[in-house]
Amino acid sequence: MKIDDLEKTTSEDLGVLPSVVRRNILKLGLVVTGMYLGGSILSLTSVRNVYGAGVVPEVGKYPYNPHYSMVIREKLCIDCEQCKEACVKTNHVPAYGFRTTILEKRRSLGGEKFETTFMPVLCNHCNRPPCVRVCPTTATWKDEKTGIVTMNPGRCIGCKTCMTACPYNARYFKEETRAVDKCDFCFESRLSKGQTTTACVEACPADVRVFGNLADPKSRVFKLVHAPETMIWVLRPETGAIPNIYYINS
Amino acid sequence: MKKMLLVLVLGAGLLSGALLFAASNAQEKTAYDEDAYGPKAPIVWVKPVRSVIFEHKIHTMDAGLDCGSCHDSLFEMENGAAEKKDDFTMATLYKGGYCGSCHDGSAAFASNTRCTSCHIGARGHARLNSQGGTAVKSH
Amino acid sequence: MNNLLAGILPQSGGLEASGSGKYTLAMGVLALLSVLGVAAGVHSLIAGHEHTFGVSRGVPWGILIAAYVFFVVTSTGLCIVSSVGHVFGFENFNPIAKRAVFLSIATIVAGFLVIAFEIENSWRMPVGNVIGANLTSNIWWMGTLYGAYLFFMMIEFVMLQKEQHKAATGFGLAGLLTGVAAHSNLGAVFGLLNGREFWHGPYMPIYFITSAAMSGCVAIIFFTIIAYKANGWKMSEGMKKSMESVAKMGALMMAIIIFFTCWKMISGVTGNPPGKYETIMTLLTGSYALNFWVGEVLLGMVIPFAIILVVRGRNINALFVAALAGMVGIFVMRYDLVIVGQLVPSYHGMGLVDYPELLSYAPTLHEYLVVLGGVAFCGLFFLMGEKLFRGHVAEHS
Repeated sequence: MKIDDLEKTTSEDLGVLPSVVRRNILKLGLVVTGMYLGGSILSLTSVRNVYGAGVVPEVGKYPYNPHYSMVIREKLCIDCEQCKEACVKTNHVPAYGFRTTILEKRRSLGGEKFETTFMPVLCNHCNRPPCVRVCPTTATWKDEKTGIVTMNPGRCIGCKTCMTACPYNARYFKEETRAVDKCDFCFESRLSKGQTTTACVEACPADVRVFGNLADPKSRVFKLVHAPETMIWVLRPETGAIPNIYYINS
Repeated sequence: MKKMLLVLVLGAGLLSGALLFAASNAQEKTAYDEDAYGPKAPIVWVKPVRSVIFEHKIHTMDAGLDCGSCHDSLFEMENGAAEKKDDFTMATLYKGGYCGSCHDGSAAFASNTRCTSCHIGARGHARLNSQGGTAVKSH
Repeated sequence: MNNLLAGILPQSGGLEASGSGKYTLAMGVLALLSVLGVAAGVHSLIAGHEHTFGVSRGVPWGILIAAYVFFVVTSTGLCIVSSVGHVFGFENFNPIAKRAVFLSIATIVAGFLVIAFEIENSWRMPVGNVIGANLTSNIWWMGTLYGAYLFFMMIEFVMLQKEQHKAATGFGLAGLLTGVAAHSNLGAVFGLLNGREFWHGPYMPIYFITSAAMSGCVAIIFFTIIAYKANGWKMSEGMKKSMESVAKMGALMMAIIIFFTCWKMISGVTGNPPGKYETIMTLLTGSYALNFWVGEVLLGMVIPFAIILVVRGRNINALFVAALAGMVGIFVMRYDLVIVGQLVPSYHGMGLVDYPELLSYAPTLHEYLVVLGGVAFCGLFFLMGEKLFRGHVAEHS
């Protein structure tokens, strides 16, 4: 068969399914895996649904300004891991640790076919951060201005309670500084020096990660999070931490 | 009586197992001809980004293309030739170059959709390498 | 200083420790183990836990936290047992009270010794705890309250030695209240972590206090019998009666713990609650099944409970076997509670590929040495106490 013949054949991929069907299948998958709006089948509690609130706060009800947050356009991630490399370089992350990483989901498409989705994860800079609550010496706190969950390495006693408290495995103990280390949205390495974005965002070739001020209606994160007909989810909403990393598929 | 039943069940189990084994063996032997379908081992490109997979089998044996469909108009036969070129990028694909010649949304899914069908990423690449290692051992 | 010591140390009366050769040997071995443990701990602090301990990013708490919990559970329990007698006036508990107060100090100091090596920068704690005090942190409350608890227990012990019983009762009550508050906060350190399903909920603080009471009974029987056997002392009738009462209270506490554990397991299996179910199954049928069934259930609950019931708390040798089994079992309980609670990884149940179903942890030699050092230090403290305080005999019993 030549290319010309092939072009006449109809495609058998998912593109031929009506979009409603595709969307319903996708929604079902996310509901089952407990990620869609708190999940309603596998998730232990469905807090968001119970109280009728979405994972996205009401406009104007962001507690910080700038309210730094990140939107992850998950479907576009190709796991090239340039974000990881940039993070390691920018923030001097040792070989045994990471501030951000890529996980891999797999969903069956029937038969032997499956669809892979790469899921970048990092500190969610939660509005109600469990790590901050448990720290005995306030070595980690939520910055009052930016909402960034920050560390003061000199205050850290190394009890590692924040590591057990974090629902996102976002923290590790860095022997070099004798303190727990974590993503600070590159505040120390970049934002505080006048740059406007994080190293991982800058490194991403697929425009997966979008960083910005959620409290600013002109920002791209605001527009993505408040776009119509967009499904937005967060990870582990049942912990009540109110994360600030939003995942979308469009 | 019970013993008879046991023997019967065991015998049936063994027989069907042997048949299945033979069938799968036969299938494997006649399945793939590298001269007709191209190299069996998948190609993994790591430039300009890690890691993109291409399998001859899916495109030739399964989809019915022949060598002339892509070689040498879209891709040189030489291993790694495309990777060396500066225009081996998604932008070129969107304009119909390389994979984008077919992957344009009509002949095959468009290059700007279903990213992870080809982009197996650093994780997929690592897994491929480790599986390759074990596969060689088991043969 | 000398006057103060003279007022505390009994010069005569009580029971005299025998066999100085044997005593010196035991002290020497325990001291050596303590020093070895401290050396391993100091080395791990210098080299970093990343290189010396089995803990990891996913399982940040290891056997040292388990040992710390074991020691403070025992300490709180000893405090509870001691207070039954001289705070609440149950006279059967008086003969063991002095030893229990002394050992509650010994065990908590051993606990502090172990956790000093688990916390990678413990020297930052005194300053950090004050200038960075975080009132929402259970760890902060636990540390602060246990500090106060140690202070109260030490004063109480001094008052007991000085025969100032009113003051001793007052400080005993203060110690009991701070101990219970501190210990339930330790339970809350685990119980208030929303992301850890096995720990999350009110069960932990409640369970911690109950198992403290059980541990206290077991520990005082264990140490009292060792003291008497090793020194060849003869138990007074009052002491025998006391052992019986403590054993019966211990059995009651074991029954409660058995009841608690049953429902913890049943509730963790019914309806497969995500995160919790995986953990419970690890204990019931998975890689920690041996720990659970042999360590926790047999040694920690069934054997001591059955022995105490069969001998009605009256056979000292049988009680010792029960107490020994109980001590080992309780340690396994603490170990499982700390470790297994961390094994389910954060992103479980999301259909991830190449992502562990369960994490794993195994203690390293460094960790074992520190724990052994803590145990040895506690033993050292105990032996010294028996000799210096002449068998902790209460005058009015």
